[in-house]
Amino acid sequence: MTERNYTTVNPCIMCQPIGSVMAFKGMEDSMVLLHGSQGCSTYMRLHLAHHFREPVDIGSSSLSEKGAVYGGSENLKKGLKNIIIRYDPKVIGVSTTCLAETIGDDINRIINEFREEEDIGDERIIIPVPTPSYEESHNSGYIKAVEAIVRTFTMDNSRKEIFNNRLNVILSENISPEDTRELKHIFGTIVGQNSFILLPDISETFDAPMTGDLHKIPPGGTTHADIADMKNSAASIGLGITNDNKAINYLERTFDVPSQDLPLPIGLEYTDKVLNALSCISGADIPEEFQKERGRLIDAMVDSHKYVYATKVAIYGDPNNVLGMLSLALENGMHPILVVASSKSPRFAEHAMERVKQVKPDCDVTILEDVDFDSFNDAVRKAKPQIMIGNSNGKYIAKEMNIPLIRFGFPIHDRVGAQRILTLGYKGAMRMLDRITNTILEVQDSELAAKWSEPESYIPLVEGNFRSAEA
Amino acid sequence: MPDITSVINTLDERQPYIALKQAKKSSELACDNTSIAGSMSQRACVYSGARVALNPVTDAVHLVHGPIGCASYTWDIRGSLSSDKETFRTSFSTDMKELDVVFGGEKKLSKSIDEIVGLYSPPVVFVYSTCIVGIIGDDLEAICKEATQRVGIPVIPVKSEGFRGTKSDGYKAACNALMQIIGTKEPKITSEYRINIFGDYNVAGDVWLVKPLFEKMGIQVITSMTGDATVDTISKSHGAQLNLVQCSGSMTYLAKWMKKEYGIPFKKVSYFGIEDIAIALRTTAEFFGSEEMIRIAEEIIEMETERIMPEIQAIKSKLQGKTAAIYMGGAAKALTLIKGFRELGMEVVIIGTQTGKRDDYKQISYQVKDGTVIVDDANPLELADLLVKQKADLMVAGVKERFLAYKLGVAFCDFNHDRVIEFEGYDGFLNFARELDTSINSPVWRYVGSKLAATSSAAGTGQCNKRSAEHGSDNDRITVERSNMHEMNNITLQESMT
Repeated sequence: MTERNYTTVNPCIMCQPIGSVMAFKGMEDSMVLLHGSQGCSTYMRLHLAHHFREPVDIGSSSLSEKGAVYGGSENLKKGLKNIIIRYDPKVIGVSTTCLAETIGDDINRIINEFREEEDIGDERIIIPVPTPSYEESHNSGYIKAVEAIVRTFTMDNSRKEIFNNRLNVILSENISPEDTRELKHIFGTIVGQNSFILLPDISETFDAPMTGDLHKIPPGGTTHADIADMKNSAASIGLGITNDNKAINYLERTFDVPSQDLPLPIGLEYTDKVLNALSCISGADIPEEFQKERGRLIDAMVDSHKYVYATKVAIYGDPNNVLGMLSLALENGMHPILVVASSKSPRFAEHAMERVKQVKPDCDVTILEDVDFDSFNDAVRKAKPQIMIGNSNGKYIAKEMNIPLIRFGFPIHDRVGAQRILTLGYKGAMRMLDRITNTILEVQDSELAAKWSEPESYIPLVEGNFRSAEA
Repeated sequence: MPDITSVINTLDERQPYIALKQAKKSSELACDNTSIAGSMSQRACVYSGARVALNPVTDAVHLVHGPIGCASYTWDIRGSLSSDKETFRTSFSTDMKELDVVFGGEKKLSKSIDEIVGLYSPPVVFVYSTCIVGIIGDDLEAICKEATQRVGIPVIPVKSEGFRGTKSDGYKAACNALMQIIGTKEPKITSEYRINIFGDYNVAGDVWLVKPLFEKMGIQVITSMTGDATVDTISKSHGAQLNLVQCSGSMTYLAKWMKKEYGIPFKKVSYFGIEDIAIALRTTAEFFGSEEMIRIAEEIIEMETERIMPEIQAIKSKLQGKTAAIYMGGAAKALTLIKGFRELGMEVVIIGTQTGKRDDYKQISYQVKDGTVIVDDANPLELADLLVKQKADLMVAGVKERFLAYKLGVAFCDFNHDRVIEFEGYDGFLNFARELDTSINSPVWRYVGSKLAATSSAAGTGQCNKRSAEHGSDNDRITVERSNMHEMNNITLQESMT
């Protein structure tokens, strides 16, 4: 349905608090508590459990009418207390919701009061993040929470302690646990296992091995010591270029840690960019392993190029993931006819255009951001892509228009394996390219099967007329 | 009556909500209260209650007045199917931003209603209020009233501010909205016996396995609420002589209102399990008192039971003696599940609900054996402890509980929005039995908690590594690797969970 000004139909974004949850779940021994009504935490738990297929515990201050009228202080304090009794986390993230923000609760003050009243020692860290649901999106909630985490852990001793010679790697957008593992492998191999600090790290927390035990808080995540050490690092890399990486900027401003923003390493060129930067920063050569992987990727690209060439593709999802996928599509000769970012960001359109100009300047591309799925639907009808790449919420459009959908991003609730989707690095590029190519081949197969009936003009040689021809 | 003892370790304040059924002692389970902050309740909010109860109305526009999250997380999560329009699967939101919060969202809402009515021409618009609307004080009622005049279709407010009560209050808000439609059209009467199906949400098409049973009995089913209901059928539902209420938690309120308003009595029934389906059909036939109908009902019961029994028996032999944990949103489903499990030879060892009331827990308590744990508004840590302590083989619940059960190596059956197969009616019960069999008897559980370890002889001496280090020549290495291969065959799976 076109031309809507007041109604959002089938939203592409989620609210800020869920983004903050994803960030908090990427650090060691932490719990999150949402200051708001009971439903917020339950809905987000559902949403995340659907995607990651893991138990997801998110606390709530369970604000009731009384709390909404007289202030939520009592509920928040009780919530914090009970979380400590039951989960005993070293860190509690407190994210606000629209309700808490609108009633005007001062969460900093409430948390300070709580610390005093309950005599909470310094070893327990509580990190407040204002994430009103009526502002921006889950993507900004993620960035804000990551910044709050870094700020809190580097607050003491505002001067550098010891130069640790390590590299900070801070994400500004959620990636899958498998992608996180791949990133760690790449950084570990090039700069050394202990020479980089990745935040957030959901590789274990949102994809825990089955052991038969249920951990109250899943092990894994960036360690507190590492986060605290970020201010002493030699440099920072921000992964994601469409938004300001607040944590990186903060570290640079406050502790003079020089930083560089790099795209998510999706596809050949963006991965090259990240690996080059790594090599430059660390002074290390690109290991043979990645040279080989890169070679294999190029081999795969050559193998696939005829199948994918000029295939019209629509890519949608969170801005940095989409930007990476756009880059991958372009360098493989596909025609990214429609490129859509879920939320508004300062530099998405600019980078997307730049990438198009670099690789395929004559390509007609529609770039949209901050739209809902209904507007996306209109755009798909107009652009008529042959495949779609994005999250599960595009399934309605894909189904209705009979366009194959290659799932990636968040949320993916109607297929298994979202936590294991690999898109980053040369390996991720190979996986994605294989998936895309095979999807195209599947379609070709079924189209060919339909064609494999003989044309009407063809008269088969039956036994009879064969003999007469002989005679 | 259940006895409240410290069944498991939890918050002191939570202890009264967990009890062990014991024959002699008596004390009452605490329930029907707001959740305790930080207790990690599995419940949602008022809005969610309203949304799940009302959202299946297929041709209505369900417009959420609030920030985007509330609409995002509830977009098409219900699992209800429609035999006609699919409007209900589209998510509409006013997507309130900061300015709307500061200056009020009334104007945006009015314009949004006009816009949506213009684009979708629905028979009705339900406008759900969310937390923030209650705080900034948008006058939903006035806006909806005005809009109704302006756009010429009913625009009905659903007062579901998230913080204003519990999920049950949301059910009431949904029922109040339905009341605005009921009685606005006259039904076309095709039978002298007419019913409404209440509290069935047509998840995975449940209603479609139930409705034909009544139709065979010569009964006209005017509407099923709200699963596969249209605004049209709801508006005519006052033409029924009997309301059959299944999900009592959500729909008893409406049934009581219809009794008062239209003099239509209601009966609580369930279409799950061989016994309960039979009771539902008999109760209905007896209500109408038609000999013919009673005869047909008995015929259906006999034929259908006979039809599914061989497979049920076969599955039962594989499930006999297994233990089950039930954690449901409402008590009606929990109650009927106890019988269902019994029919499959399984015993319930844990039973809990999010929204059960005092009477519900009394009934549950009568139905379960001594030693069963009864719990209200449980949280994940309690459920996990209970699953281990009560040695449950299978859990039946919703998505949030699924992965918790899996991590503990407990089989799982989804009896919530997420399921894609029908569980009601005769074929539905067969599906349920198959689902239990599939999960409980899958070979995957034997691997949960296992670890890969070399046999004690090899592991103890560390032979594998040492030998390969000692031997230098290529020939030797091959021999060593072969012997390693041999050892690998002896690798065992150590099961830590049995």
